Amino acid sequence: MSSRRSSFRRKPAEKPAFERFKDHCRHFTAFMFSNVGIILLVTFYTIGGAFIFQTIEIFEYEKLKTKNLIKPNATAECLNSIWKLTSENISFYDRQAYRNSVNEVLLKYQQAVYKKQIKGPDVDHQWSFSGAFLYSLTVITTIGYGNITPSSDWGKLVTILYAIIGMPLFLLYLSNIGDVLAKSFKWIYSKVCLCRICPGVAKRRIIRERRKLRQLARALQLHNMESARGGSSSSNSYSSNSNSSSISSSTSSSAYTKSSMQTSSVLDVPYSDSDSDIEREIRGSTDEITVPLTVCVFVMVSYILSGAILFGRWEDWNYLDGSYFCFISLSSIGFGDLVPGDRVITADKDKVELSFILCAVYLLLGMALIAMCFNLMQEQVIHNMRAIKRGFKACFRCRSS
Amino acid sequence: MSNKFQRSSPQMLGVEASTVSSTASNQPRKRVKRCCRNFVTFMCTQVGVGALIVFYAICGALAFMNIERKYVDETAKVVLSLRYNCSQRLWNITEELNLIDKKLWVNETNAVLQAYQVQIAAIIKNGYVGRSPAQIWSFPAALMFCLSVITMIGYGNMVPRTPWGKGFTVIYATFGIPLYILYFLNMGRVLARSFKFLYRSMHECTQERNYDARLEALESGSLGALTLRKKIIVPSTACLWVIIFYVLTGTIMFANWEKWSFLNSFYFCMTSLCKIGFGDFVPGASLTTAADVDAATQKLREDISADPNEVSDLQRITDQQFKLAINFIYMLLGMGLLAMCRNLMREEVSVKLKEMKEDAKLCVEDTRHRFVGCCGDPRDFYDNDYY
Repeated sequence: MSSRRSSFRRKPAEKPAFERFKDHCRHFTAFMFSNVGIILLVTFYTIGGAFIFQTIEIFEYEKLKTKNLIKPNATAECLNSIWKLTSENISFYDRQAYRNSVNEVLLKYQQAVYKKQIKGPDVDHQWSFSGAFLYSLTVITTIGYGNITPSSDWGKLVTILYAIIGMPLFLLYLSNIGDVLAKSFKWIYSKVCLCRICPGVAKRRIIRERRKLRQLARALQLHNMESARGGSSSSNSYSSNSNSSSISSSTSSSAYTKSSMQTSSVLDVPYSDSDSDIEREIRGSTDEITVPLTVCVFVMVSYILSGAILFGRWEDWNYLDGSYFCFISLSSIGFGDLVPGDRVITADKDKVELSFILCAVYLLLGMALIAMCFNLMQEQVIHNMRAIKRGFKACFRCRSS
Repeated sequence: MSNKFQRSSPQMLGVEASTVSSTASNQPRKRVKRCCRNFVTFMCTQVGVGALIVFYAICGALAFMNIERKYVDETAKVVLSLRYNCSQRLWNITEELNLIDKKLWVNETNAVLQAYQVQIAAIIKNGYVGRSPAQIWSFPAALMFCLSVITMIGYGNMVPRTPWGKGFTVIYATFGIPLYILYFLNMGRVLARSFKFLYRSMHECTQERNYDARLEALESGSLGALTLRKKIIVPSTACLWVIIFYVLTGTIMFANWEKWSFLNSFYFCMTSLCKIGFGDFVPGASLTTAADVDAATQKLREDISADPNEVSDLQRITDQQFKLAINFIYMLLGMGLLAMCRNLMREEVSVKLKEMKEDAKLCVEDTRHRFVGCCGDPRDFYDNDYY
């Protein structure tokens, strides 16, 4: 992109205005769809959603309040009923009967409290900016904790619309960032784990590998010659347990084809150990490297464990709860029984904000990381599958011939 | 797929038999191998994957029931004792103040009630639902829970409380989610194929007027007709109609069953199919919160056994089980439909993109020609500008 821009600068006068405008448009869209653009877009979409939901919910709540549709305080109701009970029953002064009837009233009161708690303790507290931010994030990531839910009709409708637009956007984010992360992770892996950063080590490693391959090739060739000659002395299981000559000949020929195939692939390795050749391989594109499955799994597990430690420190959860929360969130299940910031929602406002933001960043990063791991794993699995298919084909060929 | 395989298998068997006829020792092994292969192909077909999902969910439900029912819920006793304490204190107040001064009595009682409320609220926040684990983890509910885990919906109306349950949820999800994705892809492919077939036949039916033209095309060469047939692509609007229709069906169904308003029902269907799953509306939950809590409170209330209510409760629960099963099927089918739409739309988008690319190429060619016409030397520009 930069080269194109420099070519621009050299001769700006030669461009017609329309072309320049077109170029600008192209640059703009490229930027928007580039990785920075999409991160910004997701962030701003979430923040905008937070504002929208906050306004809608608080507005609807106020409207309800002014209409007096909210039920009178449950405590006052309970108090009234107890007073009535007491004043009625004061004449016969039976302690057990009184306590039983009071228990009934208290049970009703308890259910009222339970329902109120389910509906949410306090709309103002729930729909603080950070709460609304986490809510809109859980909508577009399809986690859906459900600790905060819209109670008004408009809130529900807007949630549906918001999800319909936001989910494709988030998927775009995931695929984009996942690709970028996969590429960079592959690069890092090739530099660090395969020691390509240090040329001396890499050279020795490649030379060692080649020597091994060459030895293998030589052994195979020897084996080929042997099997082509006799066949009965070879270690092939089929020829050893069969006596008829036709089968032994067929198996030996099949073994020959199979091993020749392998040797042909092995013999591609150049024999010369010249420096330039090795240099080329070291510099070679990182696309050919496949990161093993175990590394991907290790990255995911370590991310979840680090999240467990982090949230354990922040929320006073134990490690099982922390890793359970991280797993449930990152796999986008999102039960919502453990939610960050839930404990301190009424106590300390600043801490709540920080905790919510931390959770949001953790989720966004973690989902991209998981997408990356899936990218890499897919590559590896396809690679493995191809190898297995090749093996099967070779197997079938030897069987049929 | 399985049919095709079975059709081709006798021939293969014949070939194999001819090659290895002389060795009798290989025969049983081959047969076992063939059986294995047949089994694997069957498992990988659509029926197999669907059955596997259901089987996995049922196994998970049984396991979760076993694990979670062992959870000893001490909070019920705590709540009971709290209530007794509260009533005792109220009695004390009444005895002391003796209803002479209403204001003082009200103040004292209010304080007691406030304290009680705070205690209850704290307990509820820790996850007290007012039901015992055995009541919560009934079989259909556990099935619904398993489905919500493997489809990544995660309603969260019921969650594992024991550490074993939590660990098992994690393991269950790690194996269940890939299985579900397999189902999703498979189901999407099958449904997309059948829907395309349906659409194509409908399309042909509606185009009866062009029948003669098509007959001519057939006579002139079947290839032309074939290409004509292949060009029919299901438009994305058709997919959208299917989805909308499905969601509306769900909306009406749940609104009738659960006595939700249409908006709430629609909201539930959308959030479920989008895999968000807030859990503020869960089918069967209204029944559980209304009827089951009543039953639970009945039991908690000094253990007075209420026999006449038992029968109606049982009936309600069986009703609820049936509804939960329907809901299970609705969710699975809906996910399959979504996958179908995804497949079809992707196809359409790819075709459209190809067309757009061709158009763009034509456009570029056109502008290039114009450029050549306008300002003479072409090589100077195009090396820099376009490539």
